[in-house]
Amino acid sequence: MEIGDFRLLAPEISLLGCVLLVILLDLFIKQKRILATVSIAGLIVSAGFTLVMWGTPPVVILSRTLAVDAFALFFKFLFLVVAALIILASQDYVNKFERFQGEYYALVLISAVGMMLLAAATDLIAIYVALELSGISLYVLVGFLKDQKSSEAGLKFLLLGAVASAVLLYGMTLVFGFTGRTCLMCIADFLQGMPATGILDNLALLLGLILLVAGFGFKIACFPFQMWVPDVYEGAPTPITAYLSVASKVAGFAVILRVFFVALGAPDWMSLNWGMLFAILSAITMTVGNIVAIVQSNIKRMLGYSSIAQAGYLLVGLATVGMATGSDTSGQSGLIFFLMSYAVTNLGAFIAVIAISNKIDSDAIDDYAGMGRQASLLAVALTFCLISLIGLPPTAGLIAKIYIFSGAVRHGLLWLVIVAVVNSCISAFYYLRVVKVMWLGVPPSKEKVPSSWALRTALAVCCLLVLLLGVVPGSFVSIAETATRFFGS
Amino acid sequence: MSVGLEHYLALSAVLFSIGLYGVLAKRNAVVILMCIEIMLNAVNISLVTFSRYVVPLLLTGQIFAIFVIVVAAAEAAVGIAIIIAIYRSRQSVDVDKFDLMKW
Amino acid sequence: MLYLRATFFVIGGPDYLLADFGYIGILLIIAVLFTVSTLLLPLTLALFGIVPKKSNPTKVSTYECGMETIGKTWVQFNFRYYFFAILFVAFDVLTVFLYPWAVNLKGLGVYGLAVIVVFFAILMVGYVYAWFKGALEWK
Repeated sequence: MEIGDFRLLAPEISLLGCVLLVILLDLFIKQKRILATVSIAGLIVSAGFTLVMWGTPPVVILSRTLAVDAFALFFKFLFLVVAALIILASQDYVNKFERFQGEYYALVLISAVGMMLLAAATDLIAIYVALELSGISLYVLVGFLKDQKSSEAGLKFLLLGAVASAVLLYGMTLVFGFTGRTCLMCIADFLQGMPATGILDNLALLLGLILLVAGFGFKIACFPFQMWVPDVYEGAPTPITAYLSVASKVAGFAVILRVFFVALGAPDWMSLNWGMLFAILSAITMTVGNIVAIVQSNIKRMLGYSSIAQAGYLLVGLATVGMATGSDTSGQSGLIFFLMSYAVTNLGAFIAVIAISNKIDSDAIDDYAGMGRQASLLAVALTFCLISLIGLPPTAGLIAKIYIFSGAVRHGLLWLVIVAVVNSCISAFYYLRVVKVMWLGVPPSKEKVPSSWALRTALAVCCLLVLLLGVVPGSFVSIAETATRFFGS
Repeated sequence: MSVGLEHYLALSAVLFSIGLYGVLAKRNAVVILMCIEIMLNAVNISLVTFSRYVVPLLLTGQIFAIFVIVVAAAEAAVGIAIIIAIYRSRQSVDVDKFDLMKW
Repeated sequence: MLYLRATFFVIGGPDYLLADFGYIGILLIIAVLFTVSTLLLPLTLALFGIVPKKSNPTKVSTYECGMETIGKTWVQFNFRYYFFAILFVAFDVLTVFLYPWAVNLKGLGVYGLAVIVVFFAILMVGYVYAWFKGALEWK
């Protein structure tokens, strides 16, 4: 019975096989470019398995630890695409470190396996292990450059990440102690069987809930667990910064959505409480992110604070999920659509930054002056992605914001939406400053800034997706709605 | 007086707090790593306790604890490796001195 | 997840607890007796004049055996030890997964064996990697 379960794990197993292959090949092959090809091939095979399974009825496998449902498959596919784009975008960058190129690809892939398992995990133990699998490989990647900034960023990320996972673990322990179960569906059954009291009557559960929010909050960088973001984003190799800000954050939201919706979502006396908690965190997170982003002079730090602000908008979706009663899934589908749009937009912006910064050898916004003339295509792409981050037409950002905010208004979160709209206006200020510097600034030289075909391909894919999501959102919305089908809902 | 559930939980909570205090107050990166280990071991105590008292017929908590031990070891190994890398370039493991980047 | 049913792994109900504490009590008494007797033994021997009372250079040396230390005792260890320590920790702790499997060896059968073999195969890739990268060499 369990043997058959492994067939449903084909995406993860094939990717793990690819990781082992990359590690072994690295020992014997001199031409390191082959490793990138092998990695991309592994990602494509894994994505193929994921697509084949799309549409099959949801099941849980391996003693209720992993779910194979539309939700998990959607996120697995998203992580595979992101990892492939990151590897393409790293092509120029990996030449900076002559040694350890194989390890770089292997760690990116291991982290992707961790995130895929994270999206599928339905058991607290599996969630913890998957979280650490993706986390530990990211700690190493952040410190990969081994220069002073990079290792400092790696150490900060590791220490804070380890504390966050310890806190998360304590929260899990309390939930386990309270319910006696670790599988999410069993926890939901237990809670539904309880008399509907208030959360304040169950202090152990309340404490567990708060610690869970704190632990997961680190992963998605919501207030007050966002202090690591700017330092780590600045110090890490830029492709890894992109990977952190996109894949790691999306994985965090995926696991929060599953844990809170499946395990703690059923009784209203639970869900209304955490819904309100997320609403408050959302308002503070987006405000802090946007206001501090204004004064940044380093583009990686600015995008770091911008991604904190985006996490704030994403939390609006989580708050909606909590406030919604009955079978309305507009919160979930809005959140999933926003995650999709955020992933491609932010990735596009970071890839453009990788391309430009790699050539001018600086991350300062002022050094981007005149990029409109030196590297027109890159500047157009970056401008387009920044416009999408603000939420202006004709981009993915606009549709995503309308979608997520309309759901929130319907469930009585009008005040939060007003805060979010005001924040979007503030954010326009610092995003457009970069655009202004690029197009109106005077370039120091007339020299063109070249970029490799791999980078251009990755950037083109991102921009195309941003445009498609913005112009013809219909089919993507239906994908997002399908992806709200969890096991057990 | 017999030793029961609440005693183990109190022990676990105290240990966790000691670890958290150490993380916040200590400056040596290696000591911070040790404090994180204390926190994780505090969690292990409460996991095994809950397993013994709440679901005595299942071994869920013990299995969870085994996973925590292994993951903690991996984390410590990576942590020490990063600390070695940073010590080579800075000749120091004092976290207060790691302030190249500030907002 | 291997939900191992507790058949013989966990100590039974509260009835058994008292007996178990009894064993611990016996262990404690033996431990105390052993410590006290080993402490008293040299004093007793000295009383009968079997061991010398006067000190000599060999008697006061550190540990009374082994090599004399050269240079300062408080030296910083070569950081290469860390590499071995890290590798040791990584491989050592993973064997903890073998205990639950070994305890329920028969119950898990061929399936359990296959899982453990795959687990070890993955571990071996890491070992081969460390070996070929020269992490096991002292240079």
